[in-house]
Amino acid sequence: MKTISRRRFLQITGTAIGLTACQTINLNSAKKAKVVVIGGGFAGVSVARSIRCLDNAISVSLIEPKLNYITCPGSNWLFAGITDLNKLTQNYHALQTEYGVNLLSEQVVKVDPVSQQLSLANGLTLDYDRLIMAAGISFDWDSIPGYSAQSAEIFPHAWQAGPQTLLLQKQMQALSDGGSILIYSPAEPYRCPPGPYERASMMACWLKRFKPKSKILILDAKRSFSKQKLFEAGWKEHFGYASQNSLIEWHSIADNPVLELDSKTKTLRTDFGDKFKADVLNIIPPQKAARILLETGLTDATGWCPVDPKTCQSVFQEKIHVIGDAANYAPLPKSAFAAISEAKVCAKAVVSLINQQPVAEPIWFNTCYSLLTAEHGISVAGVYKLNAEQKIELVAGSGGVSRLNDTNAAKQEAAYAKTIYNSLVFDSFGQRNSLFNG
Amino acid sequence: MRFGFSYSLIFFFISSANAEVSAENLAQNCQICHNRFADQAQIASLYQLTATQIRQMLLDFKYDKTNATLMPRLAKAITDTEIDALAEYIANQTNEND
Repeated sequence: MKTISRRRFLQITGTAIGLTACQTINLNSAKKAKVVVIGGGFAGVSVARSIRCLDNAISVSLIEPKLNYITCPGSNWLFAGITDLNKLTQNYHALQTEYGVNLLSEQVVKVDPVSQQLSLANGLTLDYDRLIMAAGISFDWDSIPGYSAQSAEIFPHAWQAGPQTLLLQKQMQALSDGGSILIYSPAEPYRCPPGPYERASMMACWLKRFKPKSKILILDAKRSFSKQKLFEAGWKEHFGYASQNSLIEWHSIADNPVLELDSKTKTLRTDFGDKFKADVLNIIPPQKAARILLETGLTDATGWCPVDPKTCQSVFQEKIHVIGDAANYAPLPKSAFAAISEAKVCAKAVVSLINQQPVAEPIWFNTCYSLLTAEHGISVAGVYKLNAEQKIELVAGSGGVSRLNDTNAAKQEAAYAKTIYNSLVFDSFGQRNSLFNG
Repeated sequence: MRFGFSYSLIFFFISSANAEVSAENLAQNCQICHNRFADQAQIASLYQLTATQIRQMLLDFKYDKTNATLMPRLAKAITDTEIDALAEYIANQTNEND
């Protein structure tokens, strides 16, 4: 039997704060209850790790078919050459060896909430006392006729980091000078609200240097977007935004929605008959909860999973908890930071429920940095509590975005963006990496 | 007099709408950035700080007594009582392990 002393554990993991129950991690004797986690992104690994720290008599199995996880945070930085996919690739090693989480590299085929069992693609079934679903998003392909999983191989969404990100980068780099890129940004809610605008910024950094006559058009299903004033001010400063020669243009089509994609002519046609054609089409489709959540009946008409925020329980299944991008924790955004914060609330609630203790009053934080250039960062932050109606709300007077036109702060925040990325990865995957170039 | 009454009434509603949370639940959010392997050249390490130091830093962020980018936006959500408990909690956690 392998045990790790608390002191050693803290030296290894750096989780001194907030884990008073983490006296020893006993890797083999976990018999009190079985918790299964589906999904190995930020939410899934954080909840698995936190539960093992809070009560190591609970066994935790994490089901994730991919052997590695390439983070979406940081993946836009690829376009500006600030990082590469290797540096964004995390594994589950520490989770198993340091925390005693059982990793099953399998696909979940079916969840049966009545028998509290799930079936895996290899034919095995698994019982659970509590199931935590952190399976992320799926794409609503039907919402744009002509667009599909197949055509995403030609017109990448790059909204799940990996081969799609590389494909889009390759297309960008193959542009002729004077070529055009169209980024279609969907209506809310979707994963990473400022992501499309950070992507445009990172692409513009590269184009400015290598293909300065090119253009990026953001076609937006929204009337406004996250950190808009800060992005637009930065685009003016760096990319001539709002001038004749702007590298980036933003165009809202909130009243004139996209009707279809014509793959042959690389054109998006809208309701009013407008046609938007580009050399590279980056279509970020509208999203909903991952397939397994839809099939288990945990979603409502919105396509996302409603939850009781205090316990993270699905409103449809009391033994199933849903966290991360798949769940509706609005007004918390679908960010990696918020997913980790949700995971920590969930871990405590699950441990309390198993031990028949009262569930503590929750609090959630969100922090999200975006880069406009390698030296220009901006952020949005917020703290959220339950109100008297037990709904999540931003704590009055807190939160908000960076100050406008503060050059020093922008420089500092660019450095923080990279530092905080490393912190997030460490706090969830338990790994210490150096994750960016230069 | 009338204004004083209205303000206290508003304050009552605000403070009753959001219940106070435990230091442990707050600290688990701090840890997302300020963990042991955070780049300490850039963000404050919470280790080896006394409760008094942590409390003063948080109050300075909250009441804009110091020039900072992001922390003031977060600290404004934490009540002074929560700050007291949080500072004690973090200092005890770290002292115990250093």
